[in-house]
Amino acid sequence: MASVVPRPHYPDYSTAAPVNHHFSPYADNGGSIVAIAGDDYVVIGGDTRLSTGFQIYTRQQSKLFSLSKTTVLGCAGCWCDTLTLTRLLSARMQMYEQEHNKVMSTPAAAQMLSTVLYYKRFFPYYISNMLVGLDNDGKGCVYSYDPIGHCERSNYRAGGSAGALLQPLLDNQVGMKNMQNIKDESIPLERALAIIKDVFVSAAERDIYTGDGIHINIITKDGIKSDSFPLRKD
Amino acid sequence: MFLTRSEYDRGVNTFSPEGRLFQVEYAIEAIKLGSTAIGICTSEGVVLAVEKRITSNLMEPTTIEKIVEVDKHIGCVVSGLMADSRTMVDRARVECQNHWFVYNERMSVESCAQAVSNLAIQFGDSDDDGAAMSRPFGVAILFAGIDEKGPQLYHMDPSGTFVEFEAKAIGSGSEGAQQSLQEMYHRSMTLSEAITAALTILKQVMEEKLSSTNVEVMTMTPKDLFHMFSKEQVEEALKLVAPLEQSRGDAVNRSESDHRVIQTKSSH
Repeated sequence: MASVVPRPHYPDYSTAAPVNHHFSPYADNGGSIVAIAGDDYVVIGGDTRLSTGFQIYTRQQSKLFSLSKTTVLGCAGCWCDTLTLTRLLSARMQMYEQEHNKVMSTPAAAQMLSTVLYYKRFFPYYISNMLVGLDNDGKGCVYSYDPIGHCERSNYRAGGSAGALLQPLLDNQVGMKNMQNIKDESIPLERALAIIKDVFVSAAERDIYTGDGIHINIITKDGIKSDSFPLRKD
Repeated sequence: MFLTRSEYDRGVNTFSPEGRLFQVEYAIEAIKLGSTAIGICTSEGVVLAVEKRITSNLMEPTTIEKIVEVDKHIGCVVSGLMADSRTMVDRARVECQNHWFVYNERMSVESCAQAVSNLAIQFGDSDDDGAAMSRPFGVAILFAGIDEKGPQLYHMDPSGTFVEFEAKAIGSGSEGAQQSLQEMYHRSMTLSEAITAALTILKQVMEEKLSSTNVEVMTMTPKDLFHMFSKEQVEEALKLVAPLEQSRGDAVNRSESDHRVIQTKSSH
């Protein structure tokens, strides 16, 4: 039977117990983004509440950033990362325009965002991104991302703090999932706008990080139109 | 002509009092020793044709590669120092792939030319700033490509200057060939007319007899993109080329500059 030999104690060679240093570089400032694409339009809405825990920084912060006349980015999550990322992207948009003598298309911007995010694979931008716009055929498109650059194109998507709450609602109202005898057609713009307003009202009811109001961008071949809608402020 | 050159043609980045960079000008001269290449851009696509100088019958002609693919939608032909051209083509390929990687789209022909131009002007005396090239490239390139603007042809010289052309000839026979292109080219040209015109002109300016072994032909079309002609396809195309004495381009008198010094041929 092996006996445990007690370790001798030498005061001159002992060190203090290891100290655990916490490093938390991220903040969660909440916010939700919803986007719906149609044949010739795309709508994106983001709530205007910027918060940290139980405190509200502001009730009127738009989370939508237009990158070009046909491309808009919606960001929810760590606000400081959002500020840096959007400045980087608008710089990249300008550099592309000057280098290649054309405005970056939405699919190109979508791929660029993916690579930009992946280049920070081990210290990611803590943002739920949603890039919307018109593709090269003029069709509406929604690209959603995870923080390290996985990109997926779809026709509707909810992201941010109430993303998990709203996505099933969109699956039912826009995607017509698990329904029989339904026509496979894209919804008109008015319906998409009404759905976005409705789902945000629902999100503001249950998610404390979503509320105050929403800011909406409607993108068509004629450009970007803005709209807003109040939500409950508690 | 170059009275003051002894002072100013040493440093590659030293201007002469007349405001000239002699080394760059000499590099442009080096192209005129290279084999003749012709590019013609039509609404249906672009054609590139180039002579291959077979200096020995022990040489394997297929190993001379003057037309290369940069990306599926961009090809180029080079004339001048072939070794230099490899570096430039390599950069063009990398830039095209990088553009695809970042933007998921094909790089435009102009942007590709711009990227290679950026490399071409990075020559200098000092290498402490990372510029390792001691001299300008001795290469002229014709880029043929298809992008959202349709078929395009760009020419670039050793100074890095690039210009879009409808038809352009480079290399030793370029003066005569460019003159013939001027006469033959018209905007409503079909691609097959362009192929025949390119080969006809090549035939006029080449010293050796034009055959399927000493010419390379490539077409760039919206449907097939980069397409290198096989030996059989070249032979097929050569059947349409008129015999030398009947072809109209023969009216162009072959000027002194067309007659090359034979001993320069082996090195280019």
